[in-house]
Amino acid sequence: MRTLRFTGFTLLEYIRSGRFIIEVIATLIVYFVFLRRVGLGMSAEYFFSVTGIYTPALTLYSTAAFIGIGDRPQGYVLLSRGVSRANYLLGIFFGTLVIVSGSYGILSIMAAVFNRPPDLDLLGWFQGTMPLLLNIGLLSALMIMLSPMVFATSWRLLVLGLIALAFSSNFIGGTLLEALPAWGQALLRATQALLGGPLVPAFYGFQLAVTRDYAASTALVNLAAQFSLLLSLLGLAIYAFSRRDLIFSHQ
Amino acid sequence: MIEITDLSKSYGSVQVLRNLNLHVATGEIYGLLGPNGAGKSTLLHLMLGFLKPSSGSMCLLGSSNLDSVRPQIGYIPERQRYHTRYTAREYLRFIGEFSGMSGSRLADKVDAELHTVGLANDADRVMGVFSKGMLQRVGVAQALLCDPALLLIDEPTSGLDPSGQRDIIDLLANLRDRGHTVFLCTHYLHEIEHLCDRVGILAGGKLATEAIVRDLRAPGGSVIIEVDAISTELRGTLEAMGRGVTCDLRTVRVRQNTPHIQAMVLRRLLDAGASIIALEPMESPLEQLYTKAVQADTSPQVPEYQASAIDRTTSPLPVNPPPPAPRLPSEGDTLLNELLRRGSEQEPEQEAGNREQETSADRGDP
Repeated sequence: MRTLRFTGFTLLEYIRSGRFIIEVIATLIVYFVFLRRVGLGMSAEYFFSVTGIYTPALTLYSTAAFIGIGDRPQGYVLLSRGVSRANYLLGIFFGTLVIVSGSYGILSIMAAVFNRPPDLDLLGWFQGTMPLLLNIGLLSALMIMLSPMVFATSWRLLVLGLIALAFSSNFIGGTLLEALPAWGQALLRATQALLGGPLVPAFYGFQLAVTRDYAASTALVNLAAQFSLLLSLLGLAIYAFSRRDLIFSHQ
Repeated sequence: MIEITDLSKSYGSVQVLRNLNLHVATGEIYGLLGPNGAGKSTLLHLMLGFLKPSSGSMCLLGSSNLDSVRPQIGYIPERQRYHTRYTAREYLRFIGEFSGMSGSRLADKVDAELHTVGLANDADRVMGVFSKGMLQRVGVAQALLCDPALLLIDEPTSGLDPSGQRDIIDLLANLRDRGHTVFLCTHYLHEIEHLCDRVGILAGGKLATEAIVRDLRAPGGSVIIEVDAISTELRGTLEAMGRGVTCDLRTVRVRQNTPHIQAMVLRRLLDAGASIIALEPMESPLEQLYTKAVQADTSPQVPEYQASAIDRTTSPLPVNPPPPAPRLPSEGDTLLNELLRRGSEQEPEQEAGNREQETSADRGDP
């Protein structure tokens, strides 16, 4: 209950700050540039491809803005009252989720009213929206976990290094890979596979949103994997936040 | 109420608090004095659970589980950091809700505390337009909202203008009757003198010394007496009273002041018809205590001039220190009262004289 109250408190603060206008304007621009498509029509696949790229980008901005609101000395008073550290972090997370989901909702409504994809019904919208929202949550939880108020600099660098290593197959290959000794190549491939594992649900989630192909059981497994990963990231963030010295950035 | 034992806190290689031991009894108003960076705010944040101690233990309100007692603690932070996009009433309502209050009880309590801090007429204005003093009043109100048993106050007048400082000090002084235990961190000596029962001085991460504030109010140190004019004859008379008494054209300095010497000097001045403009300590006993403690922060010593100024390592304070007793008038005070009485008697006579002169001038009398 306190999490919900604190989410409301943070949201109201965010809205009164006027920052939500950025989201509204960005959403309108995306609609008019990419989704209006006068005379061209729009398929469901196209709609989810655009929103599947736009919403994570918006999540980066909104989460950063909410972290900025949370990472202020004003938070000390709230945390000295009944707001626990878990409430505090979840309030920031849910606040972000409401704003980004709201922007996605606006896009969906505008598309439904003015340029509805003929192959998209309500059930299809839900099927595409579920993995998309889980991806928004995943990215937001990851950003909150990597924020200065949750992770110390050394831990942030470590996690970012691991993420970079997971993606390293994109830029370490060919002659560069061959230059490594055999055991080095094997170790790198194993590390990439190991660290790339947690990224699979996010990428597959994007694909699932676009295709909305729930015929195979892997679709549901992937939703479960996305959800589990989201809970793990939030749990890790809350654990780290509750254990560390609380020193908000000064403004 | 507050029991801190061997508390240390380090940030990497920087040790902020070193084996701090501190006891504050229920109902006491304790002031922690120290220069900037001494670790006062760190200590408060440790008490609030924002920071984890490197070693040592803390027991607040009878419990070492800080999370469980936090609802009974009110906290007033320094620098008036509040969510200024809300009105004062909205903000207090949110704080009350976070603390588990609701409905008419919360609404009544919010109204009552807004009235207590003098913001009833500004309750529905956005705090972004508030002055720093008004924001700090909101801070006091939010801390009082849940009737806390313990109030932790961090630099309450930091950044305020003199008028705002006086308002906040008066406001906090009025809270004395509500029976809260108060732990006040500050680097302003006058806040300690006005508000606290007991003072501790934090220097070099340690509690260098403690004292009972009422004892520090006793006459001591040196005083400076300012008068309208001192004749050569009067100057000679005064300086003949002792080596500690020195004069120039308008001031008398009494070094190593005692009630007896002060009374003698004042009587001579009165008898000579001098008008006394001010009598002030050249350096207050608290200031002396503070200066000594800070200068010798590596080897805390008992101040020489105060028997009640106590070094924790040699003579701990009683568990329940006595409540502040009313100050008894000294001989110097009696003379000051006499001065004031004479002044008030002379004023009507002078005014009557002035009026008579003005009337004569109006009539054109010579």
